[in-house]
Amino acid sequence: MWAVAAAVPWALLAVGQVVWWVLDGRWPLWHALAAAVTVGGALFFIGVVPLWRYRVHRWEVGAQAVYTRTGWLVEERRIAPISRVQTVDTQRGPIDRLFGLANVTVTTASSAGAVQIVALDSDVADRIAAQLTDIASLGEQDAT
Amino acid sequence: MTQPVAWRRLSPRMLLVHPIHEVVRQLPLLIGSVVLGTATGNPLWSIGLLALTIGYGVARWYTTSYRIDAEQIQLRAGVLQRKVLSLPRNRIRSVSTDARLLHRLLSLTVVKVSTGQEGRGDADFELDAVLTDELTALRALLLEEAPSVDAVPTERVLARWQPSWLRYSPLSFTGLAMIAAAFGLVYQTGAVAVLEDSELARAGLDAAERAGVLVTVIVLAVGVLVGSVLLSVARSLFTYGNLMLSRRDDGDGVLHLEHGLLRLRQHTYDIARLRGGTLREPLLVRLFGGARLDAVMTGVNGAGEASLLLPPCPRATAQRVLGELTAPAVGDELRGHGAAATRRRWTKAFMFPAILVVALGVSTLYVAMPSAVWVVFGVFCVASAGLAADRSRALGHRVDAQWLVARSGSLERRRDCIAAAGIIGWTVRQTVFQRRAGVATLIAATAAGVKGYRVLDVPADLAWAVAAEASPWVADNEWVRA
Repeated sequence: MWAVAAAVPWALLAVGQVVWWVLDGRWPLWHALAAAVTVGGALFFIGVVPLWRYRVHRWEVGAQAVYTRTGWLVEERRIAPISRVQTVDTQRGPIDRLFGLANVTVTTASSAGAVQIVALDSDVADRIAAQLTDIASLGEQDAT
Repeated sequence: MTQPVAWRRLSPRMLLVHPIHEVVRQLPLLIGSVVLGTATGNPLWSIGLLALTIGYGVARWYTTSYRIDAEQIQLRAGVLQRKVLSLPRNRIRSVSTDARLLHRLLSLTVVKVSTGQEGRGDADFELDAVLTDELTALRALLLEEAPSVDAVPTERVLARWQPSWLRYSPLSFTGLAMIAAAFGLVYQTGAVAVLEDSELARAGLDAAERAGVLVTVIVLAVGVLVGSVLLSVARSLFTYGNLMLSRRDDGDGVLHLEHGLLRLRQHTYDIARLRGGTLREPLLVRLFGGARLDAVMTGVNGAGEASLLLPPCPRATAQRVLGELTAPAVGDELRGHGAAATRRRWTKAFMFPAILVVALGVSTLYVAMPSAVWVVFGVFCVASAGLAADRSRALGHRVDAQWLVARSGSLERRRDCIAAAGIIGWTVRQTVFQRRAGVATLIAATAAGVKGYRVLDVPADLAWAVAAEASPWVADNEWVRA
């Protein structure tokens, strides 16, 4: 999923370069250089980064807290107690739907404390959303 | 449900205030109409627009009404676009009042009610304005205090404004900003073009030519500096003069802040919503032993004027007030973040000089550099070193079951004290370089203030321990222990 999502902007860039080359083919050296950069970047971002992100990515919905670990260059680990959960959203973008995935966002009263679990299987996401919503409706204190 | 409470009007005196404010607000338009009127030789343009503006101001009073019943407060307003704003009374977090000069002359006060949400712009619940005499009763009603008619509430003054606080005000850039803003305004209205042709400008230019460039620049710079100092002092005097911060401990307890010489402003905060405070010491203010205090409070915007408790004042005062509002322990010695964090401060500070020296070195190969460049570079390096040393000295935190205290920064040093009970989430963030250095940035999420408070470059193995100390539920998570 990450690979495909990363492929889209790089493909656009490549198309842009081809257009540039067709419209204006005066400096072949520059074109070759730009193409090399694009290919290298695409290989890295489509081949390496998704694997890296997948290895970092962890999530857990425990009895007390929701926990995630995301990122590749910047690793981020987030934890929020379930008792403070205010809303639970699921979103599915076009690429997510292609792969049957969904994202779950758990928000608390703080804008700095939202926990997002990305790229879950749809049925898992629905189950988590339902589970969290149940627990959230039980709790009363949101510590505002 | 008992019978609905009647809608109330604002004070009739606003019939006088609204049109005047409306005229002032539409001043550019009115000037335009006057120009248009004289250009077309038809003064009806300007008179018509003036009448329209005044009419709008009057209409605002007739269309605005409010009511307070058992569950909620409602505000009906809008001349062309009607809107009804309803607010549940148990969501009211703070009540602030504001009286400009005109309001004060007529003994009127604007009442603003804010809730836990970040209501901005249109969503503000603002009663503009009610009689100042009714204010105490209204505020008590809004904050659901017990009507304290017989028992005089025990009010304790935490801090009172001293004229000596003014010595910190020239150390900010507000004066400079005001001069810049004023200049921009003047420039936009085209007054500069008029000035250029005037006698005054010509005389000034002549004088400048006689005195030479250097003197002119120095005179101008000194003039701007003196002007900015005077302006900042004046602004500080008028905004914060007569400031008084007090605390009433009957029932829930409220924090009451009052300031302003001409424009009187009062804020009343519910202490139960207070989640801590931020002691801010900008470099210049810190050099003169000053500090300012911000409240970390739910429903109050974390940055800027809204959360201000004390303007720049002696550090001891700010610290004492902070200690009284939170716990004395927050003033204790902080725990440093160790060698790795210090090293990172130094590398960061010297990143830019390093790039600069490479750039300079390369360019000397092509062009001859005046030696002054290297002097400036040396000064810059020394400043960077000072910054790094100061920044690494500032880093520190302190944590217990009640309070989290974090300090960082040099130019804008801040010491955040957050109530552990108000923390509703933790983030540990590590960049590649932080992972290599074995440190992490810990971010405590709260619903109050600026929402996220960071503890910079804590040793990585300590990060979760700090979080667990403040919020015991963190320790129960097996991921954290792993």
